[in-house]
Amino acid sequence: MFDTLDISASALQAQRTRMDTIAANIAGMNTTHDAAGRPNPYRRRFAVFAQGMGGRGDDAKKPGVHVSAVKLDESAFRKHFEPGNPDAGPDGMVLTPNVDMSVEFVNAIECSRAYEANVTAMEVTKGMMNASLRLLA
Amino acid sequence: MFIDRLMNQTSGPLLERYLKFSEARDKLLKENLANVDVPGYRYKDLSESKFIAHLRERAAQRASSTPGSVGFDDIDSDQENPAAGILFHDQNNRSMEKLMSDISKNGMQYTMAIELLKKQYSQMEMALRERVS
Repeated sequence: MFDTLDISASALQAQRTRMDTIAANIAGMNTTHDAAGRPNPYRRRFAVFAQGMGGRGDDAKKPGVHVSAVKLDESAFRKHFEPGNPDAGPDGMVLTPNVDMSVEFVNAIECSRAYEANVTAMEVTKGMMNASLRLLA
Repeated sequence: MFIDRLMNQTSGPLLERYLKFSEARDKLLKENLANVDVPGYRYKDLSESKFIAHLRERAAQRASSTPGSVGFDDIDSDQENPAAGILFHDQNNRSMEKLMSDISKNGMQYTMAIELLKKQYSQMEMALRERVS
């Protein structure tokens, strides 16, 4: 039954990583320059989930879930008309990150609910374990 | 030997087997929940009706056999992929409502089996002590 707790824990870890990427997307939604200061808008990231615990050796074969990659969203950047902006092109358009606040919030809610569901599942497992232990009492 | 025969005549072995089944099912249900956002993942479950049917069949065999000759340890249920809800665009057929209700139902059934088993043990203990309570 401890394996069952591991399965739920793997889901919690994966959902947390997903939430981290969502938080990074929301934080970077107005970022138009990269770390070196060059005009390079932030590109949206998303977590890709895969079956199994991941990693190497026997753990990889165990049931559960893991984040197999955090990928970049290759969709086009958004454009805003700001002729006075020093980063604007000849047409007066400034490239901004391809992050949609509504999409990120919907994903954040889904992620939060999935996290809660897995916490509830862990509580059920703990209840079952406690019930088994009461047999000995 | 005496204890084995005594134990085998009660519902104890059936309950023990049922607990193992519930535990295995719980593991699969938690796996389903963990993989709820994985593209292409299909719902897995164990058939409770088939398992119960096997248990009943074996219990009927036990009733007409010598004590201790029929066991329940080899009864198992195959893993299956029932159609649980609609197929989403990511090829995952998740159904959170079904999943969460299955998890709580399975948990309650497990607790019920534990309580029944506990009752069996306390009755046996009472018989051994030759004293009520």
